[in-house]
Amino acid sequence: MNEPPSSAVTQDFGDNGSLGQSNVLSKRLNKILETRLDTDKETLEALKELSNFFPENSIQSRRNLRSKIEKRSLAINEEFLSAFGKVKDALDSVYNDVVSIDSEVRAMSSHLQATRAQTHQLIDHTTQLQAQSKKLTMEQEVANAFLERYQLSPAELAVLQGTSRDSPITPAFFTALQRAQSIHSDCRVLMQSGFQTVALDVMEQMSLYQEAALERLYRWTQSHCRSMESSETAALLTEAMACLQDRPVLFKYVLDEYGSCRRANLVGLFIDALTKGGPGGALKPIEMHANDPKRYVGDMLAWLHQTIPSERESLIALLRECSKTDVTEHIHQILANITEGVCHPLKVRIERILSTDASTTILYSVASLLGYYHQIFSQVVPESIFSNTIAEVRTLAQNRFLSALQNRVKQHLVDRLDAPPPDLSPSTSVSALMSLLKEVLSVAGVADGRPEDIAKMVGVVLDPLLQAVNLSAARLPTTDMAVYLLNCLYQMQATLSLYGFMDDRLERLQAQSDAQLDTLTSEQASSLVANLNLGPIYTILQETSRGPLSNVPGMDAASLKHFLVKLDAFLGLPDMLLLPQISLLLSTVHRNNVKHRAFEVICTIFKQLYVAVHDPVNGYQNPNGLIPRTPEQIQELLLGDRQ
Amino acid sequence: MSVGPYNYSYIFKYIIIGDMGVGKSCLLHQFTEKKFMSDCPHTIGVEFGTRIIEVSGQKIKLQIWDTAGQERFRAVTRSYYRGAAGALMVYDITRRSTYNHLSSWLTDTRNLTNPSTVIFLIGNKCDLNAARDVTYEEAKQFADENGLMFVEASAKSGENVEEAFLETAKKIYQSIQDGRLDLNAAESGVQHKPSQPGGRNTLVNDQTASKDSCSC
Repeated sequence: MNEPPSSAVTQDFGDNGSLGQSNVLSKRLNKILETRLDTDKETLEALKELSNFFPENSIQSRRNLRSKIEKRSLAINEEFLSAFGKVKDALDSVYNDVVSIDSEVRAMSSHLQATRAQTHQLIDHTTQLQAQSKKLTMEQEVANAFLERYQLSPAELAVLQGTSRDSPITPAFFTALQRAQSIHSDCRVLMQSGFQTVALDVMEQMSLYQEAALERLYRWTQSHCRSMESSETAALLTEAMACLQDRPVLFKYVLDEYGSCRRANLVGLFIDALTKGGPGGALKPIEMHANDPKRYVGDMLAWLHQTIPSERESLIALLRECSKTDVTEHIHQILANITEGVCHPLKVRIERILSTDASTTILYSVASLLGYYHQIFSQVVPESIFSNTIAEVRTLAQNRFLSALQNRVKQHLVDRLDAPPPDLSPSTSVSALMSLLKEVLSVAGVADGRPEDIAKMVGVVLDPLLQAVNLSAARLPTTDMAVYLLNCLYQMQATLSLYGFMDDRLERLQAQSDAQLDTLTSEQASSLVANLNLGPIYTILQETSRGPLSNVPGMDAASLKHFLVKLDAFLGLPDMLLLPQISLLLSTVHRNNVKHRAFEVICTIFKQLYVAVHDPVNGYQNPNGLIPRTPEQIQELLLGDRQ
Repeated sequence: MSVGPYNYSYIFKYIIIGDMGVGKSCLLHQFTEKKFMSDCPHTIGVEFGTRIIEVSGQKIKLQIWDTAGQERFRAVTRSYYRGAAGALMVYDITRRSTYNHLSSWLTDTRNLTNPSTVIFLIGNKCDLNAARDVTYEEAKQFADENGLMFVEASAKSGENVEEAFLETAKKIYQSIQDGRLDLNAAESGVQHKPSQPGGRNTLVNDQTASKDSCSC
């Protein structure tokens, strides 16, 4: 390889300027000379390669070398070319692939682009919808909450309205009703917050529900109020009444219904007690004792008395939740209503008893029993038909009693009022009537009889009796009359003083006695004066104009002596000169009273005489000898130790 | 029970009897008011008191009829024995006469009440032991012979008063449990209030009676 370039250089040398050429040449030569072939790898390599196809260094070969190398170079280039042709083909296919990929990707990308554009719209739409949905949900919640708060649930409504006309009331009913009420009142808040229309609508709706519900409740209550004894209904009824108290008319209707059904029940029970009696015959029916009016009437009234507390009790139980109205008035009215039913059976029975010929005392005790129960019932059920009925039969009994008493009195007086007996004791009719009165008054008992009733009763007996006694006494001489009347009056007083409320009567009797005592006293005194010959002495002593008494006839010492002898005899045995009738006086008080007062008269006259005799004007000699006794002594002897 | 209109299950009717002045009204007052009434007036006819007690977990309302001891009210008070579930017969331990009359009271009670009526004898005024006129043993024997329950009590101190009323109620309740007392019978002196609808035949009577009356 070194040869060609040197030849080329030589050629160049020959073509160009000789100096410059020789210089360049030298430089080149130097350079070639300086070239260290053993270190030039490239050259070594080329030489090595050359050695492969240039095995023999011959002229021929040297001549061919060039073409050989050129051929070889050509072959290599051709080889190279074909190899590159393959590479190019491969690259071309790669290129094609890439191009197709690119186009596909491009298509995809554009597709994506389109899709994205499309999706964007969708998303927008979705978001919009979502927002809308959220809003709607919210609205729904609000609406639900509103409904929950301001409307009844279907279940509640169903309970409230009932599935059928006769569907029962349950505790849930009251809860629902309560809810309707609270919704109604909640509407105020709604109204204040500015939702007038809605609020008013809801209020109206609730009012309608309430109205309908109460109407239903009313019908139910009315038909069930008779079963207060079953616990569930009872509890519901109590609640129902509390609800209904807002509707006074319905409330009243229910109570009326309750009253009338309890009334019927009470009548039934009463008749059972009267006719069937207690369990297994252990308690005889009340009517078994119809022959004993006192017991019969008493049993009936006691039974009623004992039943009323239970009625009151269940009534209070029924109304105990009713706090808004004053139930006491209602309770009064309904109790009056309930007890009204028994009035008739009771009245009929009592009237029957009273129309029989019961004895006066029995009539009296029945009347008194009725009086007692009238007091009781006018407290328990005041101003009711029942207590009026009792009052009525009581008056009836009272009148029946009084007329029976009147009849008895009349009978006694007509039949047996005979002339006073010789011993001037009260006639038998007085004793009989007094014992009748006593009998009746001792019965008195139960009801503390009213004073006016007792006075009336006593009057019925006493007035005709006094009349009769006075009539028969009028036929007697004065003394006998006085004694007889005093004896009669005495017996009456003795009877009456045992009882209360008799003061008035006793006072009148006492006044009558006093009059008779006065009469009797004056009779007795006159008789004493006559018997002691005091008459003329007393007359003379009373005269005012006179001379010395010793000179007056009848007042001379002899006459006085005669009197004093009689007086001595009298003083020895004072009772000897008493009127015989005085001893017939039944009352020792009367007897002593008359005696005492008559003796007082004698004492007084004696005292006058004594003073007169000791008066020197009257000219008695030895007055002490004439009248040995002093007035004091006389008084002591006659009137006892009293001064 | 508290849901019903009645806060008790039964009503027991009691009657208190005995001579005048033995302290019947004071016993009742002590039982219902837990107080001693020092100047108690004589009872006129009958008085009425109530209290709710509890026996075996059952609330029972006692309806107590206190009678006058005075003889003149006998006609009235006799009518109240009818249908009493319990009779409290009271005498005064310081007055023998009130004890001596017990047999007549007992006769009345037996004649006028159910065989199932529980009779409880109470010797009242046991606070006045110094003035005692009737021994405990004697009265106890009387009670045993006649099958009565017996206790000495004092309306003044309140001793045994509660017990007497409660024991009587327990005995009555026992009779109901044993089926000796027929609740369905009218005038048994016991009324069954709620819990047993129709527990009393009056309920049935109710309806029939009201129907009768409605139709007329």
